[in-house]
Amino acid sequence: MTGATTYVIEAPEQPRPSAVTDRDIARAGATRRGRDSRIKIWVGTISVLIVVAPVALARILPLPSPDATNLGARRLPPLTDGHLFGTDQLGRDLLARVLYGGQVSLVIGLLAVLVSGLIGLTLGALAGYRGGWTDTIVSRLLEAQLSLPLLMMLLLVVALFGASIPVITFVIAIAQWPEIARLTRSLTLVEREKPYIAAARVLGLGNIAILTRHIVPNIVKQVSLVVMLLLAQAVLLESALSYLGAGPQRPFATWGRIISDGQDYVTTSWWLVTLPGLVIALLVVGVNLLGDGLRDRTGGPRTGLLNLITLRRKDK
Amino acid sequence: MTDMADQLLAPNPVPTSARGSGTTRRGSLDTLLGPMPRYLLRRLGQSLLTVFLTLTTVFVLIRMAPGDPAYSLAGPLATTEDLARIRTDMGLDESVFVQYLKYLQGLLHLDLGTSYSFQAPALDVVLARLPYTITLAFAAILLTTVVAIPLGVWMARHADTRRELAANAVTIAGQSMPDFWTGLMLITVFAVLIPVLPPAGFTTWSSLILPTVTIAVLQVALISRMVRREMVGAFLSPYITVGRSRGVSERELIWRYSLRNSAIPVLTALGTRFASMLNGVVIVEVVFAWPGVGSLVVRALETRDYPLIQATVLVTAILAILVQLLVDLCYPLLDPRVRLGKGSGK
Repeated sequence: MTGATTYVIEAPEQPRPSAVTDRDIARAGATRRGRDSRIKIWVGTISVLIVVAPVALARILPLPSPDATNLGARRLPPLTDGHLFGTDQLGRDLLARVLYGGQVSLVIGLLAVLVSGLIGLTLGALAGYRGGWTDTIVSRLLEAQLSLPLLMMLLLVVALFGASIPVITFVIAIAQWPEIARLTRSLTLVEREKPYIAAARVLGLGNIAILTRHIVPNIVKQVSLVVMLLLAQAVLLESALSYLGAGPQRPFATWGRIISDGQDYVTTSWWLVTLPGLVIALLVVGVNLLGDGLRDRTGGPRTGLLNLITLRRKDK
Repeated sequence: MTDMADQLLAPNPVPTSARGSGTTRRGSLDTLLGPMPRYLLRRLGQSLLTVFLTLTTVFVLIRMAPGDPAYSLAGPLATTEDLARIRTDMGLDESVFVQYLKYLQGLLHLDLGTSYSFQAPALDVVLARLPYTITLAFAAILLTTVVAIPLGVWMARHADTRRELAANAVTIAGQSMPDFWTGLMLITVFAVLIPVLPPAGFTTWSSLILPTVTIAVLQVALISRMVRREMVGAFLSPYITVGRSRGVSERELIWRYSLRNSAIPVLTALGTRFASMLNGVVIVEVVFAWPGVGSLVVRALETRDYPLIQATVLVTAILAILVQLLVDLCYPLLDPRVRLGKGSGK
């Protein structure tokens, strides 16, 4: 024990081999999920851009007018005479119609999602933060709407109040706000119990300031993800209404109307129905993939059309 | 031995006798007799209120709207006298409140008025169409269940693999196609290009195939993703690890343990989907000219046939609520831990 010796542990000359090989890491679930979410985000973004960019630039692109009829060039198949998508029953360029129609569809979808996002965020945050009778009223409203025959009600409102763009936007927004409100409410319930809220209250902040400056900024990211997914639903809903003749009236040619106009010729001119539908599907697939990928990445709440129900059950 | 192990390990497979004694042990006499009937009564009360509110909403909406049903009934060639006569016949010249009272009175006698366009009692018109919608909804939910549950289980077993990514892409596509477009595409392929199936209407039982598939495409996508998520959650539960360590076969672990524990949310979803289909698979019925309630609604709305609209809303709302109730009543069968009427009203 004389002469205390200190042992210096030499670093191994070569790094010790780990039991976990690179191959294991590459095959691990987390790696795969990460890789899959990257693929989803990329494919989603590209699909959305393929649809949205031409729609947004429709006025700049060298396209014939969407309403210019040419009875001599009726129902030309795609790729003839410079008509990429062919022409419809009145000789109008289908691509131009789809792009200009897309502007209307997308604007309605965006506005509807914006309105429903505002309503849902406000009411959901209030219900979650204040609790009590505010919560009771909002929750009852949500449940009542869930038990109503929704599409029938939407059709009824549109049929009765006229199919103008504001009415349709409003109708879609009303159809969608419950999902956002429910999510916001449950997120707010969690958030308001956190210490920083108590601290803010001790500092003398008012309820409104706490809500708008502290709670909402902390939940808005997760909510906006769902709002984005709802945009896809809004586009689908609008096209369904248009298909049933409850969409914006002429001269607006929305996607649903183009398809419903073309369905009489489905036996002879497949492109009139197929191509506009593909455009809708591509956009919605893109948005869904993008949302899916982002959600996998952020580990945000899994909410979709169906999870509404599970969320509701869990609330109870 | 395996049976015993099952009963010890799985949270679910509790024999009926044990289930009964569990209830008695837990509560007093009051809870033994009380919860079920009281639960049913409360649920039925809530349902009646919902139906009443729905009908009132529809009534108010219709009366708020601009436009004159007498005009759309009589057509553009009608004289002022014609219009006045029609209004008196239909009771439209009275105040809205009186109309509402009369409407409620008729409701008590199941008299919803005469459909303007069919010239027959509105309720009868709807009930005559109902079997078609129920058939379609039932076929669709059956196909959905048969396809979506195995698909979801398969996806859960291969979670985060390349194969699952492919299945995922398919379900996302199914979720993203507008249903009327899917229907038209199916018609194009299976009735026009390869004419094997009737394109529209209801003539033979094979007419059922295309509309059913159209509805199922979306539903399978939604339900299978849900099954997948629930199953992945169940796979991570401790009882699976214990079961595996006791030598329970993998197949049994999946189909008996995990699936049963995932059943409630899935069943809820299926029930809700079924209920909303009864509300009118409006679009698919229109695409395929299916003689059900959905296509009736569209026609009633176009002609402003108020009694018909109200009768449809009444019938479908009641049906949807009944289905929901049935689904809720199934919970204790699937999971004895669920006790209806306790803590579910909050």
